[in-house]
Amino acid sequence: MLEGIFTGLGTALMPFNILMVVVGCFAGTFIGMLPGLGPISAVALMIPITYGLDPSSGIILMAGVYYGAVFGGSTSSILINAPGCASTVVTSFDGYPLAQQGNAGKALALAAYCSFTGGTIGAVILLFAAPALAKVSLSFQSSDYFALMVLGLTAVAAFSGKGQVIKAMIMTVFGLMISTVGIDTMTGAPRFTFGSVDLLDGVSFLLLAMATFALTEVVMSVMKRQHLEEDPEIDMAALGSMKLSKEEVKEVAPTVARSSVFGFIIGVLPGAGATIASFLAYGMERNFASVKEKLKFGKGALRGLAAPETANNAASTGSFVPLLTLGIPGSGTTAIMLGALIAAGVQPGPRLFVDNPDVFWSVIISMYFGNLVLLILNLPLIPYISRLLAIPRPILIPLILFFSVTGVYLVSFNTFDIQMMVFITLVAIFLKLLDFPMAPMLLGYILGGILEQNLSRSLVMSDGSLSFIWERPLTLTIMIIAAVLFVMPVITKLLERRKNSGIKATAHHGEGG
Amino acid sequence: MVITKDHIGGLVFLCLSAAYGFYTGDISMLPGDEYEPFNAQTLPNILAIMGIILSLALIVTASRNAEDRLSLKGYDFPIIIKLLTLVVLFSFALEWVGFLISTIFFLVGGYWLLGERRPKTLIIASVPFAVFIWFALSQLLDIYLAPGRLITMLFGG
Repeated sequence: MLEGIFTGLGTALMPFNILMVVVGCFAGTFIGMLPGLGPISAVALMIPITYGLDPSSGIILMAGVYYGAVFGGSTSSILINAPGCASTVVTSFDGYPLAQQGNAGKALALAAYCSFTGGTIGAVILLFAAPALAKVSLSFQSSDYFALMVLGLTAVAAFSGKGQVIKAMIMTVFGLMISTVGIDTMTGAPRFTFGSVDLLDGVSFLLLAMATFALTEVVMSVMKRQHLEEDPEIDMAALGSMKLSKEEVKEVAPTVARSSVFGFIIGVLPGAGATIASFLAYGMERNFASVKEKLKFGKGALRGLAAPETANNAASTGSFVPLLTLGIPGSGTTAIMLGALIAAGVQPGPRLFVDNPDVFWSVIISMYFGNLVLLILNLPLIPYISRLLAIPRPILIPLILFFSVTGVYLVSFNTFDIQMMVFITLVAIFLKLLDFPMAPMLLGYILGGILEQNLSRSLVMSDGSLSFIWERPLTLTIMIIAAVLFVMPVITKLLERRKNSGIKATAHHGEGG
Repeated sequence: MVITKDHIGGLVFLCLSAAYGFYTGDISMLPGDEYEPFNAQTLPNILAIMGIILSLALIVTASRNAEDRLSLKGYDFPIIIKLLTLVVLFSFALEWVGFLISTIFFLVGGYWLLGERRPKTLIIASVPFAVFIWFALSQLLDIYLAPGRLITMLFGG
């Protein structure tokens, strides 16, 4: 292994490859910051460039772009509530309220520190544990994956506001319904395509995320224009302090540690990725929080910002494990990288260690550099990035609309996707007016395909019996955790009610006595 | 009886789930698939049932406060329709006149709809930007952007 690390260091420290990391991080941050253009678009845009490069340099560039885009996405989430990419949707839940409260600088700095820590911890774990982790993920069976997806869906409670649990559950089912559109991967049967060729591939995640978040948010902000004009303008250009107090660091430190490891593990699992990791980390952190702290979530909680920001970067690092060691993409972005590597004549998989050790180790080493470059590059750039907000809204809004629309178009080159985006935006506006949360729908959509595949395999293997749930200890354990997490909000509410009624009764008794 | 957002949402999803369940029957299956423990219709059927149960639960537990009624006051709907129509027109323009021209028209249209009337600003904020994006995509990144059917018909491919 030591020999491999030195090989990686030698390759990663080549001036040209260092340049690739810097250029990749810079380009990724810039592209990711623009709402509508996320890591998938950013990495896809790099493919033509990598054709002319050495495979190591090519994947180093793409990895830099990936990290940069994930970080850039969080910047637009915090400043203008339009996530640059799906994995930073959760960042906007608490990042945007923080910016509205005049703490944009603090939110951006926290995001930079958390991304750096998450990515670095992820890179260190990857460096020492990649081969072992590949074995662990290999031992996961269909039933374990199914249980894991169920666990993921229980996070839905974290996205539902007060009294909104049923609405959140409905939206999750709606997301699962959308995931069934297109060709069924198990049988090849077209489902809910209504004869349309464009629907055979289903609804793309990028399209759904951009339509329900970027486009809908922009359009809703215009819709409330008159209302906004009456309100005093929020001075978003004033970033506020970028310093974090000792108490704040103490508050987020355990969250960062938990989310780094958790995000990395989620990233390692093939099929999961930075988006799922950010959603789950947020849900987990909310479940860990006390009743009082829980109320702060969604209103500018530092922990609510730290958890997804750390987890998405750690997961981005983790998603390289299945890609490099098994040849299985851990996320949509790594799927594009897999294609680019194969095109360059490198076959990722267990033999990558042997056949292309320079590619394997240099990517891992350059990940650490990538995170360092992002921190050095982004902290000083934050005041300049915030200048984006100084652009007049009549100019900025069409530009955001343009980037959202072309971001989707440049992935598929199909104008039907743009029309589909408009339709989904109209539906999303209607649902938002009825106070339905959007995030559970995305979660349902993301987990839908994997859930169905693994449920199908598990049922076939157990002859249609549900016994697979309790026959495998790992599956049963994950299912029990899921059940506990799902019931926990209800129990907490009941306990809270009992406590309140107890206080009232004591007060009443006191008055009477 | 007060009809609130919950009632409307519940009814909408009840209809959606029922329609989804109805179309589940249209999913084609291979011969004998209906006897398999899991087929292409299994998950959609489960989802349709779950959707119906949850929609009914929402209607039953719906808030009955007058404050929770759907209010559309203060929303500027015409601007939304105009902006989204512009996006649809952009999608058609992409096919007919290509990326560069459609981007310029989209941006000018967007700025105009949102109240920008100064011709100088309209041109400066759209033409150089569109040219830069087009140049970066097609020339620097070597991404093929189709010139548009109309352009091809007029000037050849």
